[in-house]
Amino acid sequence: MIEVKNITKTYGKKQNAFTALDNVSLSIPQGTSVAILGKSGSGKSTLMHAMSGLDRPEKGEVIVDGENILKLKQKAVDRFRAQKIGFIFQSFFVQGNESVYDNVSLPLEIAGVSRSKRKTRVEAALAAVELSDKIKNKAKNLSGGQKQRLAIARAIANEPAIIFADEPTGNLDSVTGEKVEQLLFGYNKEKGVTLIIVTHDADLAAKCDMVVNIKDGKIESIQQESRTVTAKAVRRPSRKVQ
Amino acid sequence: MRLTDTIRRAGRSLRQAKARTLLTSLAIGVGAFTITLALAAGEGGRQYAGEIISSNTDVRELFVQPKQDNMTDPTKPREFVEGPSMTFGGGFSQQMLSTKDIKTLESIENVTEVVPIYNASALYVTREGQKKFQAGLEPHNSSMRSEVLAGTTDHVGNNQVILPSAFADVLGLPDGEAAIGKTVQVVMENAVTGQRKTYTLQVSAVVKSSVISAIGSTTLQVSRDTVANMYSFAMAGTPMADAYVGAGVRAKDEASVEGVKKAIEDKGFLAQTAEDLMGFLFQFINVLMGILIGFGALAVLTSVFGIINTQYISVLERTQQIGLMKALGMRRRDVGRLFKFEAAWIGFLGGALGSGAALLAGTLANPWISDTLSLGESRLLIFQPWSFAVIIGGLMFVAVVSGILPSRKAAKLDPIEALRTE
Repeated sequence: MIEVKNITKTYGKKQNAFTALDNVSLSIPQGTSVAILGKSGSGKSTLMHAMSGLDRPEKGEVIVDGENILKLKQKAVDRFRAQKIGFIFQSFFVQGNESVYDNVSLPLEIAGVSRSKRKTRVEAALAAVELSDKIKNKAKNLSGGQKQRLAIARAIANEPAIIFADEPTGNLDSVTGEKVEQLLFGYNKEKGVTLIIVTHDADLAAKCDMVVNIKDGKIESIQQESRTVTAKAVRRPSRKVQ
Repeated sequence: MRLTDTIRRAGRSLRQAKARTLLTSLAIGVGAFTITLALAAGEGGRQYAGEIISSNTDVRELFVQPKQDNMTDPTKPREFVEGPSMTFGGGFSQQMLSTKDIKTLESIENVTEVVPIYNASALYVTREGQKKFQAGLEPHNSSMRSEVLAGTTDHVGNNQVILPSAFADVLGLPDGEAAIGKTVQVVMENAVTGQRKTYTLQVSAVVKSSVISAIGSTTLQVSRDTVANMYSFAMAGTPMADAYVGAGVRAKDEASVEGVKKAIEDKGFLAQTAEDLMGFLFQFINVLMGILIGFGALAVLTSVFGIINTQYISVLERTQQIGLMKALGMRRRDVGRLFKFEAAWIGFLGGALGSGAALLAGTLANPWISDTLSLGESRLLIFQPWSFAVIIGGLMFVAVVSGILPSRKAAKLDPIEALRTE
């Protein structure tokens, strides 16, 4: 459960001040897939940063599993991200010079997982994104779709409770994009992981349980499925997951 | 993040920039090379000096000089002191020991022998049909170590001489044992009258001339009585006739040396034990070693800027990677550590390369150096295992310290900003 209460984030000072988020509140139940939909500059990325503990809005509260992460010390916020959050970015941010294995191993190392446990988790994560055969390859030798699948493996390796995906299909063609979407939604339903997708793609947003429309730092509307979303049970017939 | 994982990641990052890592570490390597050699040369020098001293001097022996007022300001005139002295230009003089002083020294308890030091030089030395050469004269000391080419140096009788091989050559003496028993003429001149006296001396041994041997290559060794005789002839009629720059005092046994030293000093002389003299030599070697280490340290200092620069560039290049790691929850401390460990690896590599190269070069050059300096079997460069550990450890520390600034920059990176760069 993520509760965002009245957060306001301003950049710059005085005359140049720019309000990226203006008194935003929303509530996301565990296991939901959420799209934060908006144009560039709408504040959608800032909202994601605030919810993931990367950024600290000056006002409001972000309560994740009953804890206000804005009140935590930096060390605790880092631990929160390492243990509970997975990130997927538009431009992948995989480390080209490192092997596929080492890329996936990174968040586990950061979270302080032991070497033997890392091996099983990395292998499981790579199997989930069908990259097991590339385990020893250098990441730079992968195709765009493979890189994003690698990024997904990296995001799920530490079994997070929440996955943030920032334009996950933005750099991919429609076919590979489709595959990445399937992986994300599949994981979301299968494991009951909260999936928060930041996008300006309305088609992608439509596939989510909940769509948060954001414009000029304010939430315009929240479309939610009529059924109360109680995690795993929800599955739409239109979207088949392998 | 676990320490071992951080260290492994740091090593891997360096492997991804091999050329840069290697070049940066080579810069430190130069310093490591110099310092390793300096330490090895210092140790070698100390051991060699120790060898020379222990074989050339007797621990029971003390070197005694009159007290000099060296402490006074050289810009001020010095007070006149009664007694024999040696005068140099510029109004400086050195006090000397008189015969009476020698008697005083002999009367001290536990003193078995007092031998004045004769500052004697021959006018020239020659043989029939040969040119004339300048030469110094020394009383023979059987405990001195020298490489004997012919004859024996165990004992020199009156009117006998031990020649350095250089003299044997120029005086036309035959090689090897054939030279023994041949005679040379040593001519002394009285400083006042100009009267000359020729001493005909029989060659009892030929020793190898050596740059580093305790007895100079231009010094002839004769018996104590002979040199005393020559000295008094040359100085007769001068104030120096019964004056000596110093004297060797022999104590009864090793245990009484300190007591004798104290007694001599109480009588108003300067006394130095063999240990004191050794200390001076070691100090000299240490100063030389210090200078060499200084050069090495300078090289290390230069490389510090290299490390800082390299690490800064590395941080800039890897902005995105750092941003990602921080987004994934890597703590500031761990990010900083990652870069410090990278610097430590560079220091380790540089230290290992430099000191390794020094070991290799030193081992190869050692026989050649010993040969050139006529050191015989002694080695001038002696590498000690601890010095490698100290050098590598020290350089790792220096590298980590120079990595502090760049690593702080990395730790401070804002992940949001870092991940915005495309």
